[in-house]
Amino acid sequence: MNFQSPQSQVVLSGHGLVKYYGSVVGLAGVDVAVRSGEALAVMGPSGNGKTTLLHVLAGILTPDQGEVWLAGERVDQLNDAARTVLRRRRLGFVFQDNQLLAELPADENVALPLMVDGLSRRDAIGRARNMLAQVGLAAEVGRRPGELSGGQAQRVAIARALVGEPQVVFADEPTGALDAATGSQVIDLLVGAATYRGAAVVVVTHDNAVAARCHRALHIVDGRVSESTGVAR
Amino acid sequence: MNPMTDLGLRFVRRPGPGGRAANLAALGATAVVALLVTFLIAGSLGLSHRSERIGWRSGDKADPATAIGALNLDDDQRVDGHRMSVLDLATLKPNELPPPPGLDHTPKPGEVFVSPEVAKHWSSLSTKYGVAQPTGVISAKGLSSPEEFIVIRGVQTIPVDEHPQYVSSWHEKVWDSRMLGLLIAVAFGITLVLFPILSLVGQAAGVAAKRREHRLAALRLAGATRTQVLWLSAVEQAVLALAGAVVGLVGYTVLSPLIARIPLGGGRWYVGDITVNWWTVLVVLVAVPVLSVVSALIGLGRVSITPLGVVRGQTRKGVSVVRIGLLVIGPLILAYYGMQAALLPLLIGVGFAALAVRIIGPFAVQVVGKTMANLANGPVTLLAGRRLVDDPKGAFRPVAALVLSGFVTGFISVFMPPGDDDPSFHDMRIGVALLLSLVFLTVAASTAAGAVGTALDQAAPARALRRSGVPLKVIERSARVAAVVPVIGVGLPVVGFGALCGLALSGGKVITQGSSGVLLLIGQVVAGLILVAVAGAAGAPVLRKASAN
Repeated sequence: MNFQSPQSQVVLSGHGLVKYYGSVVGLAGVDVAVRSGEALAVMGPSGNGKTTLLHVLAGILTPDQGEVWLAGERVDQLNDAARTVLRRRRLGFVFQDNQLLAELPADENVALPLMVDGLSRRDAIGRARNMLAQVGLAAEVGRRPGELSGGQAQRVAIARALVGEPQVVFADEPTGALDAATGSQVIDLLVGAATYRGAAVVVVTHDNAVAARCHRALHIVDGRVSESTGVAR
Repeated sequence: MNPMTDLGLRFVRRPGPGGRAANLAALGATAVVALLVTFLIAGSLGLSHRSERIGWRSGDKADPATAIGALNLDDDQRVDGHRMSVLDLATLKPNELPPPPGLDHTPKPGEVFVSPEVAKHWSSLSTKYGVAQPTGVISAKGLSSPEEFIVIRGVQTIPVDEHPQYVSSWHEKVWDSRMLGLLIAVAFGITLVLFPILSLVGQAAGVAAKRREHRLAALRLAGATRTQVLWLSAVEQAVLALAGAVVGLVGYTVLSPLIARIPLGGGRWYVGDITVNWWTVLVVLVAVPVLSVVSALIGLGRVSITPLGVVRGQTRKGVSVVRIGLLVIGPLILAYYGMQAALLPLLIGVGFAALAVRIIGPFAVQVVGKTMANLANGPVTLLAGRRLVDDPKGAFRPVAALVLSGFVTGFISVFMPPGDDDPSFHDMRIGVALLLSLVFLTVAASTAAGAVGTALDQAAPARALRRSGVPLKVIERSARVAAVVPVIGVGLPVVGFGALCGLALSGGKVITQGSSGVLLLIGQVVAGLILVAVAGAAGAPVLRKASAN
């Protein structure tokens, strides 16, 4: 798949981000910006701050210094409840091992964030099934995660991340548990579906093949940006 | 030291993420088991101690020709509204035997010994007994309870038409009939709470089963044999259970002054009667860990621990609708035979009814869960309902403890006599109330341990949900609902079903005779269910911590 680098507005940015874990430095002053419809890969060795950066940008963690802005609104100073609502309504998440709820069938897994947000079950399930159809799982809506292949389960996770029409989708090693061929399909689907809707994508990955499917790559070493490349392909 | 023993001890000392909560839950549940076991043993011994002090009053069926004395007990006297016993004692042969327990000498005709409680009311009795002051006060060595109202009066003779009881000594170890009746009731009660207690042991042992299973798989991968990993688990469980047993024993000792206030078998207890002796301590310290280890090993035996992971030995199957048919067999047998039936068919009927509840329990949980999930319009009910459908047997496990005892308690509760003043009726009322309390305490502990185990098992998806913006309270509430709904949705009907079978047996007479038993049952069940609901929240702090970023 070939993605064009977007020329749209910055939707998410972090400025001078610093994060400590006790005396250990997680982030040592990171600046980053992502545009709508853009896919950014965050790369680097393990334990050097990739996931910390993702968590700080997503409002899961708050930075000790620096600012995080989402669509013109500063979000790092929001309280926990407000950040929770922000993550639910404006952000989407895909995790390495899908983290779907084993008890729920695919459509209810996807519908859950919408129901939490107050949408009626009927409407939430309707939108979830529509989204599952868009990721190629129209026939699997009633299956539970244990009845799906790894790739299918990750597609459900992508549908769950996109169903709320987020401004940014965060993905932490989304292909880490998949074989190369399935991983390629999943990352293509994630980047393609998200950017098609105008959402930005921030992907933490070790995998050059995954980074190659993004518009830009950011290399984090010792909590700092060591290198920022344009289109990484 | 055996390296696996060393490793097991290390896991207890440093249990890893979530392990401390799991260990605390296991320890707490085992402590409750130890407390209950101690209570049951000490209670039985307490009855025995009481009987030793007052058993002589019943007479020992001595030959009138050789008897040293005769007795006549009238336990239907009153003083200032209190029920009082009067024991007439006639010395038939001059003897050098020690006086009856609690008296400084054997009463001569006209002498009156009274318990401390009667002494307080003597002004109302002095005229009747013709003495300004009693001859003496009976010491604790001759009383069943510090609250006992008894008069021991020396008389010349006891007329034959008053059916005197003859004695060959004032110290014969004869079981007092009321204490004997209570001991039989206690034995019956023990059989009823045994199942909940064993279930609780299993729950305590399996509270962090999944964590342990994965750890054991990792050890297998590292080259440990199956026997070695089982040994490691046994060591870990034994240490936790031993600590729990010690906590339970200490808890019992601390609570014993309160326990002594239970007015069973003729009033409050002397604390010394229910204080544990050395062999009770030994039994608890050995039996509880042994049961706990066996339960843990049985739990692990159900899964196949291979180096590549843990494969469950049994797949989760739905519960057959046909089983619901069992539900009607028990009450039908009971209704058909009614009160005229021989004991065996009645027991079979009760057994069938109890078995039916045990078997259809998971089915009922599944139905309740499915209904909740289908009707849910919010995430809490949806999640809770799906969890129940996903593993109805697991969800029913804590409730299973309630089933048999809840059923039988419901069954016998409707026979509780309404407002009768007979001492044995009083004992029965207190006994049923006590039994229900024990059952609900056990179920609450079981629910709490289960909730902690579930919270640990669900930590990873809960963490993902929180990161995705699902509020913690939604996750917590769904977990709590999933823990409590089976108890309310199945436990309550079980007690009701037991009562229904009781009514079937009595032909509905209980309702017409009064409603105190039914009201007491309802009150206790409501209180018990509230306790269980609170226990269901025990997983919340664990889930909050385990799912934190």
